[in-house]
Amino acid sequence: MKNNHLFKKTAKYIPLREESEEGAPEVPQGLLRRCNACKSAVFVEEVKANSYICPHCNNYFRVPAYKRIRQIVDEDSFEEWDMDIPFSNPLRYKGYGEKVRELQEKTKLKEAIVTGKAQIEGIPVVLGVMDGRFLMASMGEIVGEKIARAIERATQERLPVILFACSGGARMQEGIVSLMQMAKTSAAVKRHSEAGLLYISVLTDPTTGGVTASFAMLGDIILAEPGALIGFAGPRVIEQTIRQKLPKGFQRAEFLLEHGFLDAIVPREQMRETLAGLLRLHTNQRTEETTEGQTGGDLRSNLREEPDFVPMSAWEHVELARDKKRPVGHDYIERIFTDFVELHGDRYLRDDPAVIGGIAMFRGMPVTVIAQEKGEGTKGNIARNFGMVSPDGYRKSMRLLKQAEKFGRPVIFFVDTPGAFCGMEAEEQGQGEAIARNICELFGVKVPVLSIVIGEGGSGGALAFAVADEVWMLEHAVYSILSPEGFASILWKDGSKAKEAAALMRLTAQDLYQMGIVERVIGESENFSKETMDGVTANLEQGIADFMNQYGKLGAEELLERRYQRFRKF
Amino acid sequence: MIRKLLIANRGEIAVRIIRACRELGIETVAVYSEADADSLHSELADEAVCIGPGPSTDSYLNMERIMSAAMVTGADAIHPGYGFLSENARFAQICERCNVTFVGPPSQVISSLGNKQAARNTMVAAGVPVIPGTDSPVTDVTEGLALAAKIGYPVIVKAVLGGGGKGMRTAFSGEEFEKAFLTAQKEAQAAFGDNQMYIEHFVEHPRHIEFQILADGMGNVIHLGERDCSIQRKHQKMIEESPSPAVSEALRQKMGEMAVRAAKAAHYVSAGTIEFLLEADERFYFMEMNTRIQVEHPVTEWVTGIDLIKEQIRIASGEPLGIGQDDVQIKGHAIECRINAENPKQNFRPSPGIISTLHLPGGQGIRVDTGIYSGYRIPPYYDSMLAKLIVHGKDRTEAIAKMLSAVGEVIIGGVETNVDYQFEILSDADYQAGDINVDFLKNHEIGGVKIEE
Repeated sequence: MKNNHLFKKTAKYIPLREESEEGAPEVPQGLLRRCNACKSAVFVEEVKANSYICPHCNNYFRVPAYKRIRQIVDEDSFEEWDMDIPFSNPLRYKGYGEKVRELQEKTKLKEAIVTGKAQIEGIPVVLGVMDGRFLMASMGEIVGEKIARAIERATQERLPVILFACSGGARMQEGIVSLMQMAKTSAAVKRHSEAGLLYISVLTDPTTGGVTASFAMLGDIILAEPGALIGFAGPRVIEQTIRQKLPKGFQRAEFLLEHGFLDAIVPREQMRETLAGLLRLHTNQRTEETTEGQTGGDLRSNLREEPDFVPMSAWEHVELARDKKRPVGHDYIERIFTDFVELHGDRYLRDDPAVIGGIAMFRGMPVTVIAQEKGEGTKGNIARNFGMVSPDGYRKSMRLLKQAEKFGRPVIFFVDTPGAFCGMEAEEQGQGEAIARNICELFGVKVPVLSIVIGEGGSGGALAFAVADEVWMLEHAVYSILSPEGFASILWKDGSKAKEAAALMRLTAQDLYQMGIVERVIGESENFSKETMDGVTANLEQGIADFMNQYGKLGAEELLERRYQRFRKF
Repeated sequence: MIRKLLIANRGEIAVRIIRACRELGIETVAVYSEADADSLHSELADEAVCIGPGPSTDSYLNMERIMSAAMVTGADAIHPGYGFLSENARFAQICERCNVTFVGPPSQVISSLGNKQAARNTMVAAGVPVIPGTDSPVTDVTEGLALAAKIGYPVIVKAVLGGGGKGMRTAFSGEEFEKAFLTAQKEAQAAFGDNQMYIEHFVEHPRHIEFQILADGMGNVIHLGERDCSIQRKHQKMIEESPSPAVSEALRQKMGEMAVRAAKAAHYVSAGTIEFLLEADERFYFMEMNTRIQVEHPVTEWVTGIDLIKEQIRIASGEPLGIGQDDVQIKGHAIECRINAENPKQNFRPSPGIISTLHLPGGQGIRVDTGIYSGYRIPPYYDSMLAKLIVHGKDRTEAIAKMLSAVGEVIIGGVETNVDYQFEILSDADYQAGDINVDFLKNHEIGGVKIEE
């Protein structure tokens, strides 16, 4: 309030109305509230209509459980389970019972989680949604029991589970019994997972303590809402312990994504759609082709065709393989597959941008796709680290391979890397171990694996993505023990003799095809680029279909034996 | 009675409303954006509350902040002025729910008149003339011909999915119709992949005539005569006058009656405006009803002697109209000129900046409504109107002479304005003869500037 020095006043002062006077201006209860992020007043109705998101600053408010269910599931499809589990007070904690009764009254909830069965775009699913209004949705016996029962029933009925976590952690009032809920719920998740079933965990603000350290972090797929606080120890506790201010964004969803713990951050408005997409990718069981008992025999012969090799020097091939206009990993994913959902993170340390991995549909069949990604343009190259994969990239790949195996999805690799990332951090984090583990474990992955070298296949960094039932190459792709520059420098102590090295190394598709390193070479069009790649992707698509058809018929044992022998021969 | 009024607006209209309150002895609360910290309206009010940054969405359109300001200051009423939240039904509804008097019609009325189709239906049902046209799409040319004859020539054929002038043709007779219809239909098919057409009476070179209405909560409705707002550029009015040189006493009675009927049909309360298009042959059609005080309200005030803002406040306080239709006498002639910070030579580009020097006219029969002063900084966020110059003479000739003299006296230094452009319009022979319509500025070159479509 300012002013009133310049002009004379003329208002006749009438005393303000009495507080109690009827009809006095007053904002009715529940009309306006203050956004705790931007501090501005917001109309409650508007916020509710906007999925509980602040219309001014886009801050996410917590969503009451039943509202959340309504946002996510098909209308009238929710059937609630286990509504009346009797209250217990194991520590006989004073006032706990009254507090719970009070909250039941106020929130109309029985406990801090609502569980049941519903449909999302027609797909049946077991759903659990926590509600922060109820003792910060802390996990006591009833919460743990409801989660365990829901998951057990999902295992029995062979249904996927989706849990929306929102919790301060274990419920202090129930002491050690609360701690046991972490074990109980995790155990239920384990059995559900061993039954080959899908569990999607959605982390909302806040997910901390014993919930983070149990079922919330155990999803096959872990999603989070933007900005959600996710951590084990709460930020205040950490600050007090280390006597340091935590950096901005610490323990937020974006921080976790970067550190490899989330598959994706999904805006609230897209959550239903995203979940439906993921569920669909896990319901489409492989269309059972009529297996004509065709096991054994030379599968590869069907694909064998001598391409017309254009006479060209090895170095010219290398240049083409490295060409800036050459399509990169994501270009192939976009054109060959549909419904691709990218899944991030190695669940240990980081999400490597040099690897794009996820689930997609291929002609109605869910597949796992993992590509080394160089990125587009200088900015893209830098963001993707020029396709040089770090240990966390190999570990992400390993994670997605295990997931593919669990759900019986074939795997398609796209190889395009100058080599594994060469740097201090990479060594600190065990680059060699990560590559070795990928190579080794791939011999045990019980689903068909196809690897396609689309650009540069540099060394062990490439091989970690090329232990497969078949390896294919594009006409001008190269695949070698080392870059020609490196080869020249090691053998002749002269990196500038790369051209001569290339000629010696037998790194072209033609050479490798003749040596039996690759099964198939896919011809390229002239001036091969994003614009002209449709012919190549059409060929690849047909080839992949044939590959799936043939290898899909093999039993796990035979598949692995063939893969073993494929590499045993060299 | 309203004790304390918050003005949810800025500029000259906020000043205008505060002045009315000062005369009525009502306390005033101004709200202002950070860009308006040195504004006249916030200085003139008894209290002023800053409601956020310059952009309107963060301040003058932010209902939460305005309502919070009302609560903090204990205001029991809000006047929305024009623009901003003035015709926002939701805001009116929020005021109602918070027991704050909204100086304007009930939210329900705003929302039903805001829906063009619903408003048109209400008017048709009440017997208020609307532009005749087909109720449903037409695809057959023979059927179209019959409908066109019924509607009355000239007609305009419009593509149902049309826009940007494509698939639109006029026909002035039955002979022309077939070609016009088929050409438009062909164009529509090519442009929108759809050949459904509407046929509507083509209102050629109409005047924009609007009637001022006052309606109280007891169902009393009167009109205060018309305003002729035909001088406009791209639907932006530039000069308004009352009475219209094209409206005879008999026509005024006829149109006024329709305006009252329209307001009654809409269950209107408060001051409002019914817009009509008037053709040369005196046929007229309802266009829309504005549920706010209008920029050009002073010309009506001057010829009728009624203070429209005070009437709005009285009606909002629940008082009945103090006057009947018979008490309304149109005396003399009033003209309003809008003075804008814009450059007519550069397609009327807005010209924000600091007003370095300022001289405004005065004297007998001259009124200036403005929020600017010497040294005032024009913020870039809002519309470019700086001042309204209103004159009153015993007849149109005297009013024009007065306006020419007054406009000729205006000096605004530091920014570009349309003052010279307005002077040229007023000097135009056709304007002086009262020969104007909504296409005037498109058909006349004014000071070397011609408005393109």
